[in-house]
Amino acid sequence: MQRTRLLFVWFGVIFITILIIFPVYWGVRTSLVPNANLSIIPRPLTWEHYRALFQAGYMNNIKNSLFVTLGTILVTLPIAVLAGYALARFDFWGKQYSVVILLLPLLPAIAVLVPLILYMRNLGIYNTLYSVILASAVFALPYSTWMIRGFMLSIPREIEEAALIDGCGPFAALFKIAIPLAAPGLIAVAIFTFISAWNNYLFSFAFTTKRALQVVPAALLGFISAWGENYGGMNAGAVVAMLPVLIFFLIFQKWFVQGMLAGSGK
Amino acid sequence: MASVGEALPDRAKAARRQQWWYKAEKKALPYLLLAPLIILLVAFLAFPFVSLFYYGLHKVDLSGLATYSGLRNFVILFNEDRFRQNLVATFIYLLGNLAISVPLAYAAAILISTNRRGVGALRTVFLIPWVLAPIVTAVLFKTLMNPSSGPVTMLLKMILGHPFYLTLTEGGARLFIILHAAWRSFPLMMLLIAAGMTGIPVELYESAKVDGAGVWSQFKYITLPLTRTALFSAVLLISVYTIQDAEGVYALTQGGPAYGTEVTGVRLFKEAFMYFNIGLASAVGIVLILLSMILIIFYLRILGQGERA
Repeated sequence: MQRTRLLFVWFGVIFITILIIFPVYWGVRTSLVPNANLSIIPRPLTWEHYRALFQAGYMNNIKNSLFVTLGTILVTLPIAVLAGYALARFDFWGKQYSVVILLLPLLPAIAVLVPLILYMRNLGIYNTLYSVILASAVFALPYSTWMIRGFMLSIPREIEEAALIDGCGPFAALFKIAIPLAAPGLIAVAIFTFISAWNNYLFSFAFTTKRALQVVPAALLGFISAWGENYGGMNAGAVVAMLPVLIFFLIFQKWFVQGMLAGSGK
Repeated sequence: MASVGEALPDRAKAARRQQWWYKAEKKALPYLLLAPLIILLVAFLAFPFVSLFYYGLHKVDLSGLATYSGLRNFVILFNEDRFRQNLVATFIYLLGNLAISVPLAYAAAILISTNRRGVGALRTVFLIPWVLAPIVTAVLFKTLMNPSSGPVTMLLKMILGHPFYLTLTEGGARLFIILHAAWRSFPLMMLLIAAGMTGIPVELYESAKVDGAGVWSQFKYITLPLTRTALFSAVLLISVYTIQDAEGVYALTQGGPAYGTEVTGVRLFKEAFMYFNIGLASAVGIVLILLSMILIIFYLRILGQGERA
């Protein structure tokens, strides 16, 4: 009985692990061998696909992506910290409706993008990376705020109250006590914002038309239609696109998962 | 830590609280802190939603000039065979995704909740599909199933004895986008279900074992009923994401062959960003919002029930 159970567990673990790892492994492998090579262990190794990728101007796409992601974090984090702090620490009229913030990201972003195109035109930032940053930040804000609210709630209120009584203003209490204590939460939010902004191609596709302004995922979409059968090249692009995400996720996954659970209505 | 506050004389606290400016400041402060968030959300989420309904009732040209056209966009849409196909494709995509990802999520949730060493660390591995970009996973899946050298194509040929190309027929392409969506969706569901499982007392399983219940009946009579709320919210979240999906499907098939995998999100994507048909795109967007709203209302009711329970 115990034996068969254990067998089932191991079978399940191996099955799902292969299900997840194999597509990723095959992509990495495909990026490292000549096209139409089917060896399971990549041999002969070639950097040809990566060389072609960077000759096609991928470095510029990476720069655009970094600019957009860092910009999104810089806009999102301070706003989310202030709002999350307010939601966690104050009682005020309207707070009972704050769950609306959590429901907003459930509405289809792609539908909002249609009028947003015209908005960005009127603001004069259509066809610039600032419009991409603005849209990414707006769509990252609801979850980020909710995650920070969750982290602030888990810090005992008494520490700040003691500081307030000792003559510390509410802003000093926020910056000197709440923010340092919620630091893991802030890191989680920064990583979450990074991943969602880095992965997105909708905003770049909607608000920019110049190739020089494409972010990494948008360029990758271009490769899919332009390169047809060049799977080595496509996968080299995909590997470069997933590398930073995987590294950050593997390092910070504990905080990230906590934050996501806090963000999904728990 | 509470002792720090209590140590101060109550008189001092009371005096501090009575200062009127302190009260006023305290009242205005939360609104001040929330202002940047609310301004951005209203300006770039709420307003666009309102505009969407406005543009849906208008004929809009590229410069943004709108002329009122009543329900014309909706009449065009609902008289189209193509839009009916879009809705059917969306529905098949949703059901197919749930049919595969729910059982997979349960299996994975049970595995990561087993407190064996090493198995818990697998949670990280199981979450990988969920953090990768849709465009990246689309490239990986296209490579696996490409007609000339994809390992899955080869495997299918070996099993079936004849070539079977997932990307070339309507049914195959639908299966293709469903497999991709299920692979991406199950980790989040697993996370929510596993969080629900932590609330189940171990004693229940122990007494069930004493009574001679097998693995399957333990699952059916303990795990499943007690994770119902978690399951419902996971299913609804994934449903909302699935009916809105455009990025993944567009990257995989561009909606083809013909309109076989052109789900509502992809139709919207094409109308808005490729044909610049803002009026019609807004009408599609409104349909998509209404579909999402129905699901969100269900979601709210379940969250409410979960809090009461």
